[in-house]
Amino acid sequence: MISVPLLSLLSYSNIDSFQVINEKKYLFFTSSINTFYLLSITILVSLILGLFPAWYITINQFKFRKTIDFLMYLPLAIPTYIMAFSYGEILSYTGPFQTFLRFYLKPISNFFNRDYLTIEILGIILGLSLYPYVYASCRISFSLIGKTYLNLSKSLGNNWFKTFFKVVIPLSIPAILSAIFLVSMEVLNEYGAVKYFGINTFTTEIFKSWYALNDESTAVSIAIILLLIVFVIFSFEYFYNSRFKFNYSPNSKIDFTQNNNNIILPYVFSFFPIIFGFFIPLIFIIFNVVDNIGSFKLVELTSYTANSIIISAVSSSIIVLILIFILFIDNQYRSSLSKILTLLTSLGYALPGAVLGLSLIVFSKLLNNNIIDISLIGSFSLLIYALVIRFIAVGRSPLKSSIDKIPKSTFEKAQNLGLANYGLLRYIYIPLNKLGIMSAFLLCFIDVMKELPITLILMPFNFNTLSTKTYELAVEEMVDLSSIFSLLIIGICSLTLFSVKKYLSE
Amino acid sequence: MKYLFATMSIYLLMSCSQKNEQIVNLYSQRHYKVDEIQYEKFTELTGIKVNIVKSNADQLIERLKNEDENSPADIFISVDAGKLQKVSSLDLLQKLPSEIEMTNIPKLFQDINGLWAPITYRSRILVYSKDRVDKKELDTYESLTDEKWNNRILVRSSSNAYNQALMASIIANNGVEAAEQWSAGIVNNLARNPKGNDRDQVKAIYSGLGDVAIVNSYYIGLLLSSEKEEERKAGESVSVFFPNQSDEQSGTHINVSGVAITKYSPNRRNAIKLINYLLSEEAQKTYVNNSFEYPVHNEVEPNEIVSNWGKFKIDSLDLNALGHYRKDAIKIFEKTSWN
Repeated sequence: MISVPLLSLLSYSNIDSFQVINEKKYLFFTSSINTFYLLSITILVSLILGLFPAWYITINQFKFRKTIDFLMYLPLAIPTYIMAFSYGEILSYTGPFQTFLRFYLKPISNFFNRDYLTIEILGIILGLSLYPYVYASCRISFSLIGKTYLNLSKSLGNNWFKTFFKVVIPLSIPAILSAIFLVSMEVLNEYGAVKYFGINTFTTEIFKSWYALNDESTAVSIAIILLLIVFVIFSFEYFYNSRFKFNYSPNSKIDFTQNNNNIILPYVFSFFPIIFGFFIPLIFIIFNVVDNIGSFKLVELTSYTANSIIISAVSSSIIVLILIFILFIDNQYRSSLSKILTLLTSLGYALPGAVLGLSLIVFSKLLNNNIIDISLIGSFSLLIYALVIRFIAVGRSPLKSSIDKIPKSTFEKAQNLGLANYGLLRYIYIPLNKLGIMSAFLLCFIDVMKELPITLILMPFNFNTLSTKTYELAVEEMVDLSSIFSLLIIGICSLTLFSVKKYLSE
Repeated sequence: MKYLFATMSIYLLMSCSQKNEQIVNLYSQRHYKVDEIQYEKFTELTGIKVNIVKSNADQLIERLKNEDENSPADIFISVDAGKLQKVSSLDLLQKLPSEIEMTNIPKLFQDINGLWAPITYRSRILVYSKDRVDKKELDTYESLTDEKWNNRILVRSSSNAYNQALMASIIANNGVEAAEQWSAGIVNNLARNPKGNDRDQVKAIYSGLGDVAIVNSYYIGLLLSSEKEEERKAGESVSVFFPNQSDEQSGTHINVSGVAITKYSPNRRNAIKLINYLLSEEAQKTYVNNSFEYPVHNEVEPNEIVSNWGKFKIDSLDLNALGHYRKDAIKIFEKTSWN
């Protein structure tokens, strides 16, 4: 179900198109350099912003610890393209930052009058918006390390610094790698922001070939190369994680008795990402909303919000149902076929959303020619289908880790008590994984809420969501009018994050 | 599965209920407030409901192409003549019938093949710093490659459809070789790498980063009417210049928004009604009162801000050339590193 539409893309590909890429070696070279440069900056920034606070918050007890811990996740609520457009405006010559300097700090305003639309700045902005992936997986991993390792390290005479780099980081490599994988996927998928910053990447090359040059086969060939790169990163992560199975002792909770005398440090660590990753863009957007309050219609706002919530809820529910089924089979039978199946579910996440959308259009034409009579394009079901394919990978990891925590003996005992498959699923599997299921659902919900390219390609008649409306206005250079829609996305996503956090802390 | 079933049945119900009422289905690249006003007025007048899918032109074309004869779309709307040419070259349109009233629309804006009708147009103009540039220094698009503009020109990236259309018009007017030289000359004179949107180019002049920018007339109007004081100041720091105006020159490059009827249009009669409405004097007035575009109707004057820039000679090139030379334009951009 998931790989079929992707495979239909292959029908466009042929040897000649790889020839074309060979002819355009130079262009391809620069877009590869750009892509990797942007990737490295983003990964570096998100590691810096994610790792240290995660460590500090894990081992220290201080005032507002829980609040800060929650705030660290909030940048996830802002779609990356909204972040990029907002910062583009904030930093521009007529934006609040430079205007403020010109009015109050004239002497240094000249120094800051420069071009901010650079690849480095974009990398930092993307890092600010994506570091929560690193933070989230490190927080879990760090808290699982337990005090045995830390005490051991301490008794060997290692200080805080050495312990972090020699013990904690190496033990958390699998978590860090999977976070880097997610960050990379988001960067490779980015289109609106890189186009605005005038940077050529793999993704922009795909669209240029497909749309402007009407050259589908080259576009597909580049997409296949992109897919291969993703596959390499993915298998590296997979290989690494399966080779290093660490023996955590999760029950030994870390005690907070140590070094909480550096009162300012945790605040400084978390100050930067929270302020720049969330509050500055949020305040900018709120100001825009206030400025344009007269031009918003309540009817529009409610109907777009309803649309966004409906597609998010429907596709997340379907994702969770499919995942429960697949992972249950994987857990019960552990065959290599089910392994491959679960791996395939990640495929949709590996392609830029717009390419996935196009592949579904091609796919539904193939269906049309051979099987059914009505066109699926523009139907609600096709849109949902696409969103499910895209985000099933997002729901997989929280659910999987929740399932893996249940000892196998629980199932065996249940089976001995005479429960068959359905009973197992109904009475053991679902109740025990309730929290995992809920957080998988909510994470998918957030991602669909923010999703743009697929909805843009496959939307039904008169169907606007908050994100398509935001984009529509932003791309026509009316960022301030788009603010209310951005604000609603951010508000809903923040609330959802809050509930995820609540479920997880239970 | 439960959910899937439920949503599918809701969808089916929705599509059934539509059968009984008068509708017209649009695939539109335009998504401005003024369009919503137009469709509301049209519905009020005729009782025909307007359904819209708004996306970018290429994605809509991709949908049309793959839906083939199952397509529900009646009308395709784009803000770029190049895309209209693209969709007609893919044989996805039908000829406009004679009922469509074009007597008040100058031939200049019309499609020679009669496959689409123009509704508004915009010009790709030059804006220059009031402080640092004398109007007399400016002449043509071509003269921007002059040495005196070194490090002073601003323009957005070549992935933008308006830039692609401008390059296509230069190829059509001057030939591939000259266009390539022009592109290399512009790249050589750039004040910074191409990036941002059209408004960012004006802001860059205001900030002193460059002196002359190639932009779309529409966005200058937006800046001048902005809610933000600093943005209005940016708009006021520049003047508008229409290039290529002398007798032997080609005229300023323009691009049209156009409507077309799709090949398998299921509600063809309603589509014709809508197009006629959009071309009417009333609708053309609605356009100019709610946006900064130029009207195509010869008895309607543009918005005040736009009128104040004065009248200008329009490049009389067949607008289909903007599509014909699109690929060549992109190749030139690639070759001369205009990213």
